[in-house]
Amino acid sequence: MVEISTKQSLKRIFRTGWINFQRNRFMSLGATGTMALALLVLSGLIVLNFFTGQTVGFLDEKVDVSVYFQNDAKEDQILKIRSDLEEFKNVKSVSYISQNQALEDFKNRHKDNQLIQDSIAELENNPLQASLSIKAVDPSQYASIAQFLENNSLKEVIDKISFYENEAAINRIQGISKSLSRGGLGVTLLLALVAVLVTFNTIRLTIYNKKQEIEIMKLVGATNWHVRGPFLVEGGLYGLFASLATLAVFYPATHFISGKLLSFAPNINLFQHFMGNFGQMFVIIVGSGLALGIFGSMIAIRRHLKI
Amino acid sequence: MIEFKKVTKKYNHHFTALDGIDLEIKDGEFVSLVGPSGAGKSTLIKMLIKEDRPTSGKVILDEKDLADVPDKEIPYLRRKIGTIFQDFRLLESKTALENVAFALEVAGAEDDDIAKDVEQVLAIVGLADKKKNFPKELSGGEKQRLAIARALVHRPKIILADEPTGNLDLVNSFDVLKLLWRINELGTTVILATHDDKIVNTVGKRVISMDKGKIVRDQLEKGKYII
Repeated sequence: MVEISTKQSLKRIFRTGWINFQRNRFMSLGATGTMALALLVLSGLIVLNFFTGQTVGFLDEKVDVSVYFQNDAKEDQILKIRSDLEEFKNVKSVSYISQNQALEDFKNRHKDNQLIQDSIAELENNPLQASLSIKAVDPSQYASIAQFLENNSLKEVIDKISFYENEAAINRIQGISKSLSRGGLGVTLLLALVAVLVTFNTIRLTIYNKKQEIEIMKLVGATNWHVRGPFLVEGGLYGLFASLATLAVFYPATHFISGKLLSFAPNINLFQHFMGNFGQMFVIIVGSGLALGIFGSMIAIRRHLKI
Repeated sequence: MIEFKKVTKKYNHHFTALDGIDLEIKDGEFVSLVGPSGAGKSTLIKMLIKEDRPTSGKVILDEKDLADVPDKEIPYLRRKIGTIFQDFRLLESKTALENVAFALEVAGAEDDDIAKDVEQVLAIVGLADKKKNFPKELSGGEKQRLAIARALVHRPKIILADEPTGNLDLVNSFDVLKLLWRINELGTTVILATHDDKIVNTVGKRVISMDKGKIVRDQLEKGKYII
C-alpha cells in the first residue's frame, strides 16, 4: 500500500485551488475586483476614524474654558476660584493669567505692529482682563465646569465664561465623523455582501464545471476535504489578491492625500502613521479579504457540493 | 466476505429497487449479476460503496455493517473497492497516466510511489505504451482498460464492474473480460453486473439472476445466463 501524506495532500489541494483560480481568469478578476472595492472602502473608513480621532484629540488638547474677570477683581479672589476649581473632579488643570501677564502676552503677540504698540503705550490703565484657562478631563464636562463657576460664591467678579464655541466645534467634528462612519460602514457592509455573492457565484460555477471530476474524485476515494479544499483555496485566493491590490492602491493614495493635508493639518501625517502601523493594517486588510473569500466559497460548497 | 441480509431499497415509498435480498459472496469469488434493466443490479453495487443506503436490512463487508461506517470513512471504504462503469468515467483533460495517478493523488500518496504504481498498473492492463494519450485518443476497449487500471491502483480487495462491456464491441468486451478474469485469479473478488449473455456464458462461474429487485436464481457453479 502506498504511503499517505498530509503534507502532500495539502500541497495538492493548494495547487488545484491555484489552477482553478488561474483557469477562471475573467471570473476571478470580477470576484477579486469587487472584493478589492469593499476593502478599499473599509480602509477609507479606517483613515476617517484615525483622522477624526487625531483632530478631536488635537482640539481637546487645545480648547479649554476661559474665565475672564472684572477689572476690579482682586488677585486673591481669582486664586480662590482657581483653588476651588482644582478641587473639582472634572478639571484637569487650571492656569492663571494675570492682567499684567495678559498685557505682556498681547504685546509679544503684536510686537511687529507699531500701531498697536503705540496705542497701548497711550493707555493709562491695562484694558486686558485677568483670566483662568481651564482644561477639562473630558470636553463633554465643560458645561458642568461652567455650572460649577455659576454657583461659586465669588461669581460676581467673573465677567464672562467662554467655552461654547469650542464645544460646538468638537460636537460638529464628532457629528460629521459619526455620520461619515455610519455611511462608510453601510457601504462597506453592502460591498462586502456583494463581494461574498460574487465569490459564491464564481465558486458555484467552478463546482458545476467540475461536476464530473468531483464525481470521479469521490469514486476513487478522495476524502471530503480533498474535494472541498481546492474551492476554499480558490475563494481564499480571491481575498488574498483583493487585499494585496487594496494595499497597493491604499499606500500611494495615503501618500498623496498626506501631502495635501499637511497644509491645513500640519500635525497629522497620515502616510507616516499608516507606514508605522503597516503590520496592523496588513493583518486587518488581508484578514478581511481572506474571511470574505473563504466565507463566500463556504456557502457555495455547502449549497452546491454534496458529498 | 460480502453479505446482504434482507436488504430492501425503496424510492419514494412506491418503487422497490431491492426487495429483501439475502446474499453471500466469499473472498476471491467471480460473480456475474444478470437481469434486465431495472432489476436492481446497479442499486446492489451502489450499496457496497455506500453511494446509496438500504431502506431496511444490512450490508456487511468483512464482518462490518456498512451502516456503522461514518461518512468521513467512506473514502477509505471506496479505496478498498475498485469500481468500473459502462461510461468509463475518465477525465478527458488528463492523459491515461494522469487519470490513474489522480486516484492516488486524491488519496495523498507520495509522487515517487504514484509514478511507480501507475506504470505497473498500466502495464497490467496493456496500456504502457499509451500512457501519454488522452481518453479521446483511445478506443472504447482501451478506455475501459484504463478505467480498470484506475480501479486497480489502490490494490482493492473487490472490483465492482457495472455493465463494463455495455459500450464495447465483442472483441473489446472479451479483452475486458479476460482482464477481469486475470484480476480474479490474483485473488480479487469480482462482481460483474451485465446483461450481455455471451460474456456471462463464457465466464461460466457463479451467476446470480435478478428481476424486479429480487434474486430469482443463484447458480453457484458453471452458471449460464438465465432470467
